[in-house]
Amino acid sequence: MTPLGRLTLFLALMSSISFGGIPPVLPDIRHFVVVAQGWLSDEDFVNFFALAQTIPGPNMILMMALVGWKVAGVPGALAAAGATAIPPCVLYFAGYRLWDRFRDAPWQKVARASLAPLTFGLVVAGGTVMAETVDTGWVSIAVTAAAAILLLVTRLNPMWMLGGAAVVGALGLV
Amino acid sequence: MLAHRCAVERRRWLSEAEFGDVLTLCQFMPGPNVVGIAICVGAKTRGVAGALAAFVGFAVIPATIGFLFALLLLGQARAPVVQHTLHAISAAAAGLMIATGLRLLLRRHRRDLRAMAIAAAAFAALALAKLPLLLVLAVLAPLSVAATAIWRAKAA
Repeated sequence: MTPLGRLTLFLALMSSISFGGIPPVLPDIRHFVVVAQGWLSDEDFVNFFALAQTIPGPNMILMMALVGWKVAGVPGALAAAGATAIPPCVLYFAGYRLWDRFRDAPWQKVARASLAPLTFGLVVAGGTVMAETVDTGWVSIAVTAAAAILLLVTRLNPMWMLGGAAVVGALGLV
Repeated sequence: MLAHRCAVERRRWLSEAEFGDVLTLCQFMPGPNVVGIAICVGAKTRGVAGALAAFVGFAVIPATIGFLFALLLLGQARAPVVQHTLHAISAAAAGLMIATGLRLLLRRHRRDLRAMAIAAAAFAALALAKLPLLLVLAVLAPLSVAATAIWRAKAA
């Protein structure tokens, strides 16, 4: 199969199981495109991640479009964006109808009570693995820790944390 | 949240409770959450056409604009300043992800040791044991649903 075919199939699978959004799938996607297939360097992956988290809009679709663009140009970007966006959106549409119809069913409460904490644990894990990839020195570790602590203890808009980090980076401190 | 203000307060497409349902569902459904919320609101008000309009408005158009903007920036990515800036932003974004997960967990399940155990198991499997997500979900999702169902049956 062509690289584009492999990437598209892989992303369609990943987006279908991306409970909690992009963070839980980041470790697998990095492993596939950087380690197993060698299409991207870690530097590319980190750059795409930074851009996707900064530019407003659907960050997961944007990040995968950039990965696809790196693998196979504009057709790659379109295929990757489609594979990332379409399966979960169909699931949302179907899922919402079911969810709405059975809003008082007991299984819905059980599903909610068990799958929500599972998802949150996966989000923390995805962020941790991404931090391992990015944090190459003590300054970047400090930036990660500062952003996390500020989000937990203040009501600051996260854009301030990203902006502060951008200044630290532009000054050449990381 | 802007989507809430628009859909519930101003346009009254959904009630407060309906919006809460949508939010819970989209938080643990796979995929881009904001797009999911928009699709659910669209589906609720206008069926398939509403869902499609939400997909175009919240996914296709912003992703296209963002992609073009990102390519412009990446054209400069070899400059050390840009490289360092993106690196630091990634470090902060990773921290924000960790904190977002922690905050959701603490807000909802602070006093629920069982939920904490499920979250800890998910974290350990993905971040420490480095297992593939598909395997983690295939094992932990049925386990935690079953455990929760049993706990609830006992409590009742």
